Amino acid sequence: MLEIKDLHVNVHGKEILKGLSLKVPPGEVHAIMGPNGAGKSTTSYTLAGRAGYEVTKGEIDFFGEDVTTLAPEERAARGIFLAFQYPLEIPGVSTMNFLKTAMNSQAKIRGEKELNAAEFLRAVRAAAKELNISEDMLKRPLNVGFSGGEKKRNETLQMALLKPKLAILDEMDSGLDIDALKLVAEGVNKLRSPERSFLVITHYQRLLDYIVPDVIHILAGGKIVLSGDKSLALQLEQNGYDAVIAKAA
Amino acid sequence: MTDSLSESLLGAMEQRRGAVAPWLGALQGQATEVFKREGLPNRRVEAWRYSDLAKALRDDPVADATPVVPPSLQRAALAAFVDGALDDNASSYAQIGAVNLRTALGEKDSPLAAIIGKVYPQAGHPLVNLNTALLEEGLALRVPAGTKLDLPLHLRFLWTGAGSDGRHLRLLIQLEEGAEATIYETHDGAPTFSTVVTEFTLAKGAKLTHIRQESFLAGARQAAVTLGEIADKATYRAFYFSQGGQFARHEALLKLAGEEAHAELDGAVMVAGGRHCDNTTVIEHAAPNATSNQVFRSVLAGSARGVYQGCIKVGQVAQKTDARQLSRALLLSHKAEIVTKPELEIFADDVKCSHGATAGELDANALFFLRARGIPEAEARAMLIEAFFGEALDKIENEILREAVAKNVSFWLTTHAGEAAHVE
Repeated sequence: MLEIKDLHVNVHGKEILKGLSLKVPPGEVHAIMGPNGAGKSTTSYTLAGRAGYEVTKGEIDFFGEDVTTLAPEERAARGIFLAFQYPLEIPGVSTMNFLKTAMNSQAKIRGEKELNAAEFLRAVRAAAKELNISEDMLKRPLNVGFSGGEKKRNETLQMALLKPKLAILDEMDSGLDIDALKLVAEGVNKLRSPERSFLVITHYQRLLDYIVPDVIHILAGGKIVLSGDKSLALQLEQNGYDAVIAKAA
Repeated sequence: MTDSLSESLLGAMEQRRGAVAPWLGALQGQATEVFKREGLPNRRVEAWRYSDLAKALRDDPVADATPVVPPSLQRAALAAFVDGALDDNASSYAQIGAVNLRTALGEKDSPLAAIIGKVYPQAGHPLVNLNTALLEEGLALRVPAGTKLDLPLHLRFLWTGAGSDGRHLRLLIQLEEGAEATIYETHDGAPTFSTVVTEFTLAKGAKLTHIRQESFLAGARQAAVTLGEIADKATYRAFYFSQGGQFARHEALLKLAGEEAHAELDGAVMVAGGRHCDNTTVIEHAAPNATSNQVFRSVLAGSARGVYQGCIKVGQVAQKTDARQLSRALLLSHKAEIVTKPELEIFADDVKCSHGATAGELDANALFFLRARGIPEAEARAMLIEAFFGEALDKIENEILREAVAKNVSFWLTTHAGEAAHVE
């Protein structure tokens, strides 16, 4: 499904990713762990197509198509979803209007039929109920006045409605206490399916207790230095990044 | 005073003196004398430094499309003006007690006639003077004490082009104690030159909502002034929406004359191409415990120019004044420009006054967020621009009017999609 080949990315003229390669088969959950400055956020923004993240070499293949030069909305319509580390507050844009516009924009790009008002409402209500999101939250402007946990649940709601093929979770646990984290992880786990892959980007092992990965990759200095099963997270927890990275080198 | 435009205006002043009501002749005569001395407002006068009316009127007119007649509102009393002339057959203003200006001014001693030329200090105001000397038509509304008008008054101005001397309108509004009214004033098309001066007085506890919506074509040249006196516990709520024109300026000159008087102004400016839009406000706090709050939001594309001049005067008696003003601008192109000039004159010591100004581009983070959810760039930009005005729109209580104004904002975004979508 996703294959990143020898990806080099410059940000503000400085090379951050230096030959990242990675394969995520359908239905699998892969984690990218790494110390600060390893290029974790750069990886997620580059996959989502943010301006300013300049791919100088390599490619990102998604279902066999190189998406490197596609606009963010084109990638989203193809099924790439980025859950933001810090979801934006956008005053003046209602959550419902945003959800509807996003769903219908993607349908339009894919050449599918747009939802009518009743279909949309049904879909939102069902997904919101599943994720314990109140009607009141849906009525508010997008993320305005939401707690950290509510913002992340709102991201999960968007994921549930947009039904991506690849969900990239960028530091899903930042700003969450343990109860909020459990709730968000529960929501994510409900969305696991054989057709959907996850790329979980995190600094801490903690998140991986709740969203258990099939494969863990360690990112350091702009490339993957080590891959392994979930036991790798425990090694990191016990010995720290420096020791594990040194051993891999 | 030697050029042909000034001479032509002067000729018109002589001709029109006393035409609306003979007793007004003296007032018009004085105004004409001032015009002879001062001429048209121009950039050598500080208040007109960024909006040179004299120059705009001498410049070649911008060619324009044909104006579209705006739809009539459901549930509103209509005063339909075409090229400055009140069309009584198309109007329904009488049902809320409004009268033709000529009727209102018929007797010098009638209550409405008594306020003309007297609301707020206006002596020496070049535009008000010009309008007084040239005034032809208008409308007057008096709302008796305790009366709350159910229907808004829709002042619908359609400009298809007018004579070289322009069209000059006067609106008189008087709300007696505890009265409430809503005025929806729309301008469409392109006057070659028009002035509109509105004078209003709000007695104790009265509440006036004033929604001005300028949807001019590119060649419009208009200067408008709203003068108001607000007594104790009375409120003036204003929403000024403008798309600018070749020259578009609106001034709100308000006096908070009584305790706990309140003025709340929201401005929304959407200008593109080479248009010019000026919002100037002077709010005088002349009594204790009065409050004023103004937020002007501007979206500027192309090589458009926006001007916001906000002056707050706090007199010595006006203790416990709370006065705030804010100008926020979104610049969609590198050639667009916003001029913000705050002025505070404070003579009381126990007051809260604040002013602020921001100018910037659309938030790149928010834009990326929307696009990453599948919303194409142009649509994402439009969403953020609409959101920028959302807070002001939400404050419009009358649902029909709120929707009408929101539609106007969306329409601008549709018709200027190219300019809104691309940074040059």
